[in-house]
Order: sequence, then structure tokens, then C-alpha cells
Amino acid sequence: MIRRGLLGFGLAYLALAALPFLRDAFGFPVFYLVFLSTIWFWTAQATSWNILSGYSGYFSFGQAALVGVGAYTTAVLVGRQDWPFLATLPLGGLLAALLALGIGALAFRLRSLRGEIFALLTLAVPFILGSLARILPAIDGGQGITVPAPDAPDPIGGFQELLYLLSLTVAMGALATAFLVQHSRTGWALFAIHDAEDVAEGLGIPTFRAKMVAIGLSGLIGGLAGSLFALQIGFVTVESVFGLTIPLFVIVMCVLGGRTSWLGPLLGAVIIVTLQDRLASAGFQGWSLVILGSILAALVVLAPDGLVARLRARAAPVAAAFVVPFVALAIVGFGDGLVDWLAGALIAAAIVAFVPVPASLARSVRARVGRPTDRGTAAEPATQRPPLTTEPLPAPPDAGSSGPVLECADVVKRYGGLRALDGVSLRIDAGELVGLVGPNGSGKTTLIGILSGALRPTSGSVQVAGRPTAALSAHEVAHLGIARTYQIPRPFGSMTVRDNVAMAVMFGRRAMSIEAARDRADRHLEVVGLAGRASHRPSGINLHERQLLEMARALATEPRILLLDEALAGLNPAEIDQAVEVVRRIHASGVTIVIVEHLLRVVNQLATRIVVLDQGRLLAAGEPAAVMRDPAVVRAYLGRLADA
Amino acid sequence: MIYLQAAVAGALTGGLFAVMAVGMSLTWGMLRVINLAHFGLILLGAYLTFQLATGLGIDPILTLVVSAPVLFAVGALMQLAFDRLGLTEFNSLIVSFGLLIIIVQLTSNVWSADFQRMDSDVNPYATEAVTIGPLAFPVPTLLAFVAAVLVVGAAHLGLTRTYPGRALRAFAQDRAIAAAFGIDHVRLGTLLAGLSGATAATAGMLFALGNAVIPTAPFEWVGIVFAVVILGGIGDAVGTLLAGLVVGAVSGLVSVTLSPAAAPLVIFSAVILALLLRPDGVFARRPA
Amino acid sequence: MLEVRGVEAAYGEARALHSIDLRVGDGEIVAVVGPNGAGKSTLVNVIAGLHRALAGSVEMAGTDLASLAGHRFCDHGIAIVPEGRRLFPRMTVRENLELGAYRRSARPQRADALAWVHELFPRLAERSSQLAGSLSGGEQQMVAIGRALMARPKVLLLDEPSLGLAPIVLDGVFDAIGAIHASGVSVLLVEQNVDRSLAIASRAYLLTEGRVTMEGPAGELLASDEMRRTVLGL
Repeated sequence: MIRRGLLGFGLAYLALAALPFLRDAFGFPVFYLVFLSTIWFWTAQATSWNILSGYSGYFSFGQAALVGVGAYTTAVLVGRQDWPFLATLPLGGLLAALLALGIGALAFRLRSLRGEIFALLTLAVPFILGSLARILPAIDGGQGITVPAPDAPDPIGGFQELLYLLSLTVAMGALATAFLVQHSRTGWALFAIHDAEDVAEGLGIPTFRAKMVAIGLSGLIGGLAGSLFALQIGFVTVESVFGLTIPLFVIVMCVLGGRTSWLGPLLGAVIIVTLQDRLASAGFQGWSLVILGSILAALVVLAPDGLVARLRARAAPVAAAFVVPFVALAIVGFGDGLVDWLAGALIAAAIVAFVPVPASLARSVRARVGRPTDRGTAAEPATQRPPLTTEPLPAPPDAGSSGPVLECADVVKRYGGLRALDGVSLRIDAGELVGLVGPNGSGKTTLIGILSGALRPTSGSVQVAGRPTAALSAHEVAHLGIARTYQIPRPFGSMTVRDNVAMAVMFGRRAMSIEAARDRADRHLEVVGLAGRASHRPSGINLHERQLLEMARALATEPRILLLDEALAGLNPAEIDQAVEVVRRIHASGVTIVIVEHLLRVVNQLATRIVVLDQGRLLAAGEPAAVMRDPAVVRAYLGRLADA
Repeated sequence: MIYLQAAVAGALTGGLFAVMAVGMSLTWGMLRVINLAHFGLILLGAYLTFQLATGLGIDPILTLVVSAPVLFAVGALMQLAFDRLGLTEFNSLIVSFGLLIIIVQLTSNVWSADFQRMDSDVNPYATEAVTIGPLAFPVPTLLAFVAAVLVVGAAHLGLTRTYPGRALRAFAQDRAIAAAFGIDHVRLGTLLAGLSGATAATAGMLFALGNAVIPTAPFEWVGIVFAVVILGGIGDAVGTLLAGLVVGAVSGLVSVTLSPAAAPLVIFSAVILALLLRPDGVFARRPA
Repeated sequence: MLEVRGVEAAYGEARALHSIDLRVGDGEIVAVVGPNGAGKSTLVNVIAGLHRALAGSVEMAGTDLASLAGHRFCDHGIAIVPEGRRLFPRMTVRENLELGAYRRSARPQRADALAWVHELFPRLAERSSQLAGSLSGGEQQMVAIGRALMARPKVLLLDEPSLGLAPIVLDGVFDAIGAIHASGVSVLLVEQNVDRSLAIASRAYLLTEGRVTMEGPAGELLASDEMRRTVLGL
């Protein structure tokens, strides 16, 4: 798949690179090369943005900073130091990459970084760089720099041909990089970050590293294209590179094209550049920003997934809507030629792609074509699921070990003035199935968060398999063999059920490829009885199934110890019985389990030991029947009823 | 003395940033809408002042009688639409970015892409200055400072002393419980966004008093106003005023000691530090 | 006074309530008890307009509120003391209380209501200008109850008022509930603390897994084995 993809990029590159040399043979005007060069520039820029912001969901408004660094590197070295242009190109990319990595190292270290804060942070960077460029005479000093056009080497011909080939090279390189990232471990990690970052980290995905790789590549590509931008505009000023137009265009292109695929930025760039060009040539440049703004606002509200997602759903009609008008316009000889036909066809295709089809019509068409729906909308009732297999589960890698797998000592967690946990010490041995119970607000979920490494205790220590976790990040704690589920299921919404589980396998303690991980994922789905839902999206399965998915995903990390946080909440009695059976089987395979549950009858049935929390303290611990008779516990639950 | 002059003059100019920022900050903090189109409203306010003063000969300050209600209505309608669409905080940022560039382009189509400045016969304020001892201050910046104190003061009193104001703060802290006590967020949100539109009219008027207007001006405001909003603490009116004055004074001082081009360097470095270290605002006192 | 009929509710696909019928008569204290996660809070939230029911009606003095917008419920004499207090933490005690009287018909009696709340909880008069977020748990609970009283409710909904409070503080809270009841306000009390709530209530409902599994005079429920079994899971 990857090899075929790269081969495709190679062939496309060769074909497109041949264009300038065929110009004489076909006699097409140089304008086409200029037009295509513009498309390639924006393709590279949009791809640079998309690798970080599209894939991971961290929107950047700072694209201009990358362009600016690349452009000024070239402008200063070529315009003032007489360097050859080609030598400055990689340097521009490198410096932009370093800047991007610096921003990432600062921002992504924050535990509480929210999307808006990152967006604003990146908004500030171009202002700082622009200001620096203005005050430092060595860079700009306020007058701008002329970039003389380099001489093109012999077979290439003129400057336009050279610029075209360079832009094409950078754009194709960018697209191939985006393609590779998308299908790599880093790409999967980025999509997981996009959907639910802390869940991803908790499953063992090194999120910081993935984001750094993405921002570094984004910087490299943005800088390379920025360096070309200097050549293209010929005169570099602070206003022309550090303005807000560049991020605006780039964001519109990616939102329009689609942010989850390498193809999206390319489609967006083609459409927006064509639109801009035609509007300008028709004398409507005054409306181009109005149209861009409207597209952006309307798409965010109506079709945030962009064109690529629509293409997947309606490939044939969209293709037809592109080809038919293109041919028709060509035959009648509409307008000025190729670009006008392209514009007409693109508009027709975009309309077909985005216009909502009434659900009833779509369903009847689908029924006739017989293609399964992408999202698996109508989930069949849970009763139709095949019965659970009864054969015993394969034992996890550390099964059979004994002694403490999880210990915490004197754990305190404060939120402001509130003490959620007030000195909890607990030791859990291998093979136990511990029920963690307590009244509302007693600190159960907080304790789960601290044990799993997602939260840091205010004081006290936690050890997993004998190793203190204080200095580890959450994904490293996960790799020690601890996994958790969330009370409200938090699947990766953009991935299928199978890939949700495959993520945990792929980034587990024994790293493996996505293909191998998918095979194993299917086995885990069988364990919880979800095999029939493997290719559905999480939005297409019901709550009970999402809770089972949580369990399958946690199980897929091959944990020594599994923390289940209210995994049965909101289920009906039949579903509860089934889930209880699944928990039993997981435990029987050798996994130590801590289950938080408020249905005490379930806990009493399942647990080998019960631990009671009350007001952030350990109230009691021991064998279920004994704990439930403990007067202190009865009082916590019933008040003085026990004495009555 | 030159430093004092620069700092005080800068702080007065900072009043304009505060007036620009206060509506943005409050709608962000209370309604969870990051409204970039607010800059478009300021631009419209500036052009309305320019048009009414130049075309009809109205005193530029009095143009507020028209522009404030108009922008109140625009702001309120925009908020109604945002509310109806149920946008997330983040999507509001993107959608309003789209709206902003639409406004920028439309103003450019109507008033051309060139600088427009009110003539001195319709705008007597531009050329006047007040001297206090050895210091001299242009009237437009003095007016901006006075307006900032008035607008922020009114916002502060409104939020702490009136029922709708307190209801808004309550709403910002816990939407569901606020509703349980009868607080209608659609009505209050529309009111706040409308008032924010009226402050945009004021900011636009003040800008037009001392500057030539150009459709791309919002892109120059975005950075500095975000700086003021973030340094002041999102949703904190008084913090916004303090941040505006400090940012203005620092700009003034840096301009004299280093160079005017260095001011963004200092201010945006401060913003980055603020975002990294104190995302709740540097000048935020008691949050609203 | 308050009549709940056939209420169904869910969070997404998680069913929380199945066809609940419940009545609070004039001048009654009614308790709803049950284990964690039985749907008690959901029920209270539906009655207060915080959570929309899928089906069924919530009637106050004969008017069905179920179709109204959430912020209109309080106009019909319902006020809530929510689980976990949920004060406006960055506003003063005084501001929190006055917001309770936000609805137009409560505003004229604001001064009287405030005096009453201060009489009930003299501590709050001392803490008037302190930020609500800086109070102790017990004081916060007083503010939450006071805020609801400022709305001049006919029915007061109390959701887990005992949560996280020390026993001695709890005594004060329950004394206050008694006093509020004595002044003519009906009370719907949702509690995990079975003993405390049944002691003060005249009637009670036992909620299990989203259904009413027992109802009757509080004393009867208190004495039943079923209750003990359900709540302790034995």
C-alpha cells in the first residue's frame, strides 16, 4: 500500500515535471506554468499546516511565521550575500523547522494546553518575527529585500520553468511526506490525539513525540515553500510574508479539502487557487475574499469534514460531475480555455459533493447499490450479537507473577481547597479482583486517575509493578502494564471499532505494525463480543457496545492490571450480566482488576476483595461479605439505619 | 522627561486598545464565543464615523448616535446566529474569522482599499493637543483614555451592580444552574453581544478621530487586542483596562528607547509568556 | 402540588429513568432514597428543568412544565439545591443569594427573603461579602439552600445535601430543612443518607436502577429488609 502510493507519487511527479519540456511541442502559454506553480506553492503550504493542525487538531494561526523564516532566509542570503538560491532553499526549511520545534517544545510541554491557547500562541509568533525583521538591519530593517531571479540551468529554459519545477518538487515532496505520515505510527498517533489526547496517552501512545514530529515536518515544508515564495514574489517585505492572509488561505484550503487526509490540502489548493484566478480575471477580485470567508464559515458549520470525506461517500457522482461539465465546456469552447473549464467542473463537482441528499433518497440508492454504509448508522439490536466464545483467553505476558502489582502510599490530591483524596494507601496483589466502592464524591475516579498516571498526586507515591511512577509520563506508566476505562466511553471517533482497539495494540508494550495490530484487535473484540461491530464507527454502536469497546481497548494493551471505572453505568440488567461475564473471563485469564462500580450486588458477586472510600479516605478493606457488615461502611451508606 | 511623555502618551493610546478589547473579552469570557468579527465591527464603526462626518458634516463624536445602535443590532444578530448554530468556542473562532474577512472585503469594495481620513474641518479634534506642564497630549488619545475609563467603568458597574450583569457572570460560571434560577441565556447573550457591538462603534469612532482608516486595519489590531485581552484576563473588564494602559505605555517606552518596530516584539513575547505561565491573565484581579 | 407522571429520561443512550410517578403534596417532606447511580439526581434535574425528560409530565399546581424552556421552571415555584452545591464560586455570598431571586416575581420580596435566610443561617450574614468559592463545605451548603429559598419556592428540591459534610454540620442542615418545612414550603429530599432523610420525611420512594421499587410512609421503608438489601447490595 505504502510502496504503491509512493510509486504513484513518483509517476505523477515525473509526468508533471515533463510539462515545461512539452511546452514547445504543444504550444500552451506560459501562463499555465504560472498558474500551476501557484497551485504547487499553496499545496505545499496547506500540506505543511495540515500535517500538524489537520491531523492532530491543534489549529495554528502561525503559518506565516514558517513562510516568513523561509522567505527571509532566502531573501537575505540571495539578495544581500549573493548565495546561490538552491543553497538557501534547504537552509530556509531547516530554520523554519527549528523554529517550529522550539514552539512545540514550549507549548506541548504544558499539561493543560487547550486548542484555543495553542491557536493564540501561534498567532503571536509572526508578530514577533515581523517585528524582529523590521528592527534588525541585518535581516530587513524596514525597507524590504529584492530577490534577484536565479539563472535557470541549461535544459530547463526560463525562470518560470525553474520556479515551476522547484514548486512541483516541494509540493510533491510535501504530499508524499503527508501520505507517509498519515500511514505511519506517528500518523495514527496524531489522529488519536485529535480525537482524545489524554485517552491516547493513557493507552501508551507517546503523544508529545508525535506532536513534535508533526510540528517539525510542518516547519520544514512551510520553510521550503516560504523560501520559494521569496523567489516567486521577488521582493520580500514584512507585510507580504508575516500577514494574516497566508494562514487564512491555508486554513480555508484544508477545511474545504478535508483535514484527515494528505489529499485534502491538494484539493483545497486546486479549488481555491482556480477560484481566485478566475474571479480576478473576470474582474471580481473584490469579491474573492467575501467568497472565501463565506466558504470557511459555511463549511465549519455545515460540512466540517471537508471534500475528502464527501468524495469517499459519493466518489462516482462527484467524478461524473467533474468530468461531464469539463468535457462539455471544452466542446462548446467556453471562456478562455483550460482554466475556465477547470473552474466550471470544480464548481459542479463541489456542489455535488456538498449538497445534502435527503436521507430517504440516500437509503434507497444505497439499498440498490448494496454498498455498506461507511458509518454503520443503523446498529442492529444488541441481542443479534453472536454468543460469546467460551474458550479461555490467552494469558497476558505477565500472568502468573505474584506479589504487589500496584501500590500507593499516602496519596493526597487537592483541587484548590478541596481534598479529593486525603492520604490513601493501598496495595493490590497479582490475581486480585478488587471492587472499589464508596458514596458519590468519595474520590474513586480521582484515585483511578492517579493510579493510571493520568493525574499527579499532590503528595504521596504510586508504584506499578514495583516501579515508582512519579517521574514517568502517562504513556510510560501505561507501558508498565496498567490500563483503564472511562466512566463515559471515550472512543477515537474518527476510527473504526477495530482501529480503536488496534491503536492500543500498536502502541502497546510490544510495538507492532497496524496490520498485525488489526489481527490482534479482532481477537480482543471477540473476547468482549464485539467482533460483529469491528468495521463500524463508534458513533454507530450503542452505549453498551461502547463500554465493551472501552474494555477491549484497555485489554489490548495487555495490562497486568486493568482499572474499570463504572464500566456498567447505564446498562440494562441483561447487558450488565453480559458485561460481568466479560470481566470474569478477563480476570480468569490472569489480569488483575480494579473495578469501580456503584451496583453493589455486582461488586459483591465479582470481587475477591472490596475497598471502601469515603470522603477521600480509605474506610475499610477486605472480603466482600465482611466489609458490607462493617458498621462504619453501613453507616457511610445508610446512616444510622444499621443500628435501628 | 521624554520617557515620561512617551509612557503617558502610550498609556493614553492604550485606552483605545482597551475599548477595542473589552467587548471581545467579555463575550469570550461570558458567552464562550471568540468573536474575531468584533474587529470587523470596529472597522465598520470607523467607516460609519468617517462617512457620517464627511458626508453629512456631523461632529465625529456625535456619529455614535447612529453607529452605536446600528452595531448594537449587528452584534446582537450575530450572537443570535452563533447561539442558534450551537458553535463550540473553537468553531466560533473559525466562523468569525470568515465573517471578519467578509467585512474587510466589503468595506474595501465600498470605501476603496485606500486610506480615508476625515478632513480637519469636520474633525477638529485631530489636530488639537492639551498641554499639562511639560507634557503634550493629542486630543484623540485623551478622548480614547476617557472613553476607556467610562466604558470599562460602565461595564464593571453593570456586571457587579445590575441584575442582568450579575446574571451574566453567574451564567459564565454555571450555565445550567443559572438557567434553573430563571436566567435566560439567549436574551442576556444577545444583550451583551449588542453592547459589545456598541463598544466596537465607540472604538471605531475613536480610531477614526486620530487615524486614517483602511480596510485592512483589523489585521493590525488583531494582535495587539488579543494581547490586551489575554494579559487582562479573559472576561475581566477592569483587567482589560489595566492591560491596555500597560501595553500602551510599554509600546510608547520601547518606541522611544529602541524603535517603534520593536514594540510588538516586547508585547507579544509577553503574551506568549502569559499564555504559557498564566493562561488566566496577568492583570486579572478577581475574575468575573 | 408537584405531580410527576411517567417520566422517562436518558443520557445519550444510557437510560436513567423508567416511567417514574411521584407526588409531593402541599406541606409534605418527601424523600427519594436509593443507591448511587439509581437515577435520583436525574429525577431532581428533570423536575428542576435542568434535564429534559424524554416522556412524561412534570406538573406544578396543574400546569405541565415539561415542554417549557429550562429557565421557565422556576417561575412555577420550583427551586433546586443541586448536588455538590454548584454555587457561583467567583461571586460573593450576597450575590449568590440575590441571584436566587433573579426571577421577576421574586425580586420585590428580595429584602424579606434575605432577612429570612439570614435568620435561618446567621453565618451567612457574617460571610456576606466573601467569595462563595472560599467557604467551607457546610457554609456552601447553607448558601445553596439560601439561594434556592430566595426564589420563594413552593417546592424546594434538595439533591444530596449531606454530601461531603461532617455529621455535626449535617445536623444544622437538617434542622434548617425542618424549619423551612415548618414555614410552609414543600420539600423533595434526595439522599444517600437513608437514616437521616427518612427520619425527617413523611413519605418516601425507593429508587433502584431507574425505577421506583418501593413507596410509602417513611417509617415503613425504614423498617423494610428490601431497603437494606438494595442499598447495601447484600
